[in-house]
Amino acid sequence: MDPLIYILDIVVFTGIFAIVALSLNLEYGFTGLGNFGKVAFFLIGAYAYALLIETGLHFILCLAIAAILAGLVGSLISLPALRLREDYLAIVTLAFGEIIRIVVKAEHWIAHGVWGITIPPAIYWQGASFRMTIVTHIGLVFFCLLICFILVQLITNSPYGRIMRAIREDEIAAATLGKSRLKYKAQVFMMGSALAGLGGALFAQYMGYIEPYMFMPMVTFTVWIMVILGGPANNWGALLGATLVELFDRGTKMVKDYLLVPVDPNNLQYILLGILIIFILLYRPGGMLKESQVKTKAVERASQWKRRS
Amino acid sequence: MVCSLSKHWLLMVYFIVVNWAQVLFNSCVTGSLYLISAVALTLVYGLCRFPNFAHAEFMAFGAYMGYFVAEQLGLGFPFTFVTAFLASGTLGVLSYKGVFQPLAKRGATIIHQMIASIALGFIIRHSIGEIWGWAPLSFRVVWSSFDVGMVRVTGIWLWLILAALVIGGVMHLMLVKTKIGKAMRATSSNPELALSSGINIDRVALTTWFIGAALAGIAGLFRAAGTRLSPLLGWDILLPTFAVTILGGIGSFYGAIAAAFIIGLAENVGVVILVSLGLSTEYRMAIAFVILILTLILRPQGLSRVFRGA
Repeated sequence: MDPLIYILDIVVFTGIFAIVALSLNLEYGFTGLGNFGKVAFFLIGAYAYALLIETGLHFILCLAIAAILAGLVGSLISLPALRLREDYLAIVTLAFGEIIRIVVKAEHWIAHGVWGITIPPAIYWQGASFRMTIVTHIGLVFFCLLICFILVQLITNSPYGRIMRAIREDEIAAATLGKSRLKYKAQVFMMGSALAGLGGALFAQYMGYIEPYMFMPMVTFTVWIMVILGGPANNWGALLGATLVELFDRGTKMVKDYLLVPVDPNNLQYILLGILIIFILLYRPGGMLKESQVKTKAVERASQWKRRS
Repeated sequence: MVCSLSKHWLLMVYFIVVNWAQVLFNSCVTGSLYLISAVALTLVYGLCRFPNFAHAEFMAFGAYMGYFVAEQLGLGFPFTFVTAFLASGTLGVLSYKGVFQPLAKRGATIIHQMIASIALGFIIRHSIGEIWGWAPLSFRVVWSSFDVGMVRVTGIWLWLILAALVIGGVMHLMLVKTKIGKAMRATSSNPELALSSGINIDRVALTTWFIGAALAGIAGLFRAAGTRLSPLLGWDILLPTFAVTILGGIGSFYGAIAAAFIIGLAENVGVVILVSLGLSTEYRMAIAFVILILTLILRPQGLSRVFRGA
């Protein structure tokens, strides 16, 4: 196969998963919410997009509605779930992801169950080569990624972002300052779910076909690895993590086609990834990029005062 | 695997108008499997305070080591239990020494420990896949099935129920009568106090991880003998095991036993209800998850208050 297609494919997937990694970074990195059901919102976004595009709506409208829908489901789920301890929250969200997948698999009237659903290409013109369609997808995905990144950067560097960090560091202290932790957590969960839904919608559009087996808990774990590897609470870290994991993931698929290795590259990939994660957690728990310090006038003045004394 | 089982149940429901004796027996079988798996998980969860996702791989590893001894070395089925017990237990001790103890010493958060257990799971699962391949395998032993009254019984199911009874009894005696068992309970409920009372916490942790992983290996072996072997074998029962652990109350041995049978019953009666409502039996998996979510939201401490003492 054309090696350029491989590279373009890696670029698209990096873009899609960078959006999902940014969303998890918002939840876990900044607010400390361990959401292990990321794939549920990814799935909702993907299926919402697939079903909406069939009605003939414009695809940009479909992307927006899919994201909003995932966000709404996220806020509904967050109300009971966010009162839980962090390990319970992780298990509940993980189970929620599996329930959603089982429902989509069992209810054939939604999207043909295990047979999957085909999505008509949204961007298409006469005589477009396969390469060109991938390039237009790259354009679309990275345009969405750029918007999401700017949005997430603005949120996390605003006073709102400082409240998120405050809740992560000490919920009770944040509550004594009059910040309702449940309200902020639910809002963050909603934003994170909406971003994940957008990622899912872009995924569905690029793949052109989705079925329930594409939404195994493995997707959630991949996104977690991106965030942990890149550096929680650093948006550049999420981008870096997504790039590295996707390069690693797709790169081994390329190795399988071009090189002869005695070990199955797919197995080797996960074994190495597992070892890498354990080493990162042991020796560099902050990830590759450290959390950047909050920049405000008050912090500046305090550090100046500290330097003088 | 779930599919073939649920089809089996489906047929039964269609041809014998709901044989309730059979449903009860099947609940006992499911409950026994969950009992072994969940008692193992709850001990480790209670001690280390994080859900160990690599528990699924401890199950798969036990099953595959059993397969190695029984089929590849040709020693026959009875040896598999000893092998699965020892091999998985050793793997558990190595995981604790190599990954979770260093992490805990460096003050890792619960989430970091969970991620580490997922990563460890990757390593074990894909090593199994590399060694034995991803295609499903099965034990060559054929279990005869016979009828007791209206109930159709398979040999391996009887062994499973017997094993659950023995494991429950032995663990009960161990936790109540022996010194190490009492030390395990003490450390699980208050590590600082246990340490200051002169309990060797390190030895307790090693024992707990050994027993936890070893019992997981036995559970995996039964699962594999009843269905098939696959590297994903543990994943299929990991979430129901979490459900049992949480319904029973984390760290609660008796709670886990009660919860295992409650969830076993709920799944089997649930299938009958699903069929009568005309819903897909795929939802069998969802029953345990729904119980799990409801327990966490309504009664996060589980049944542990009901079973004080352990």
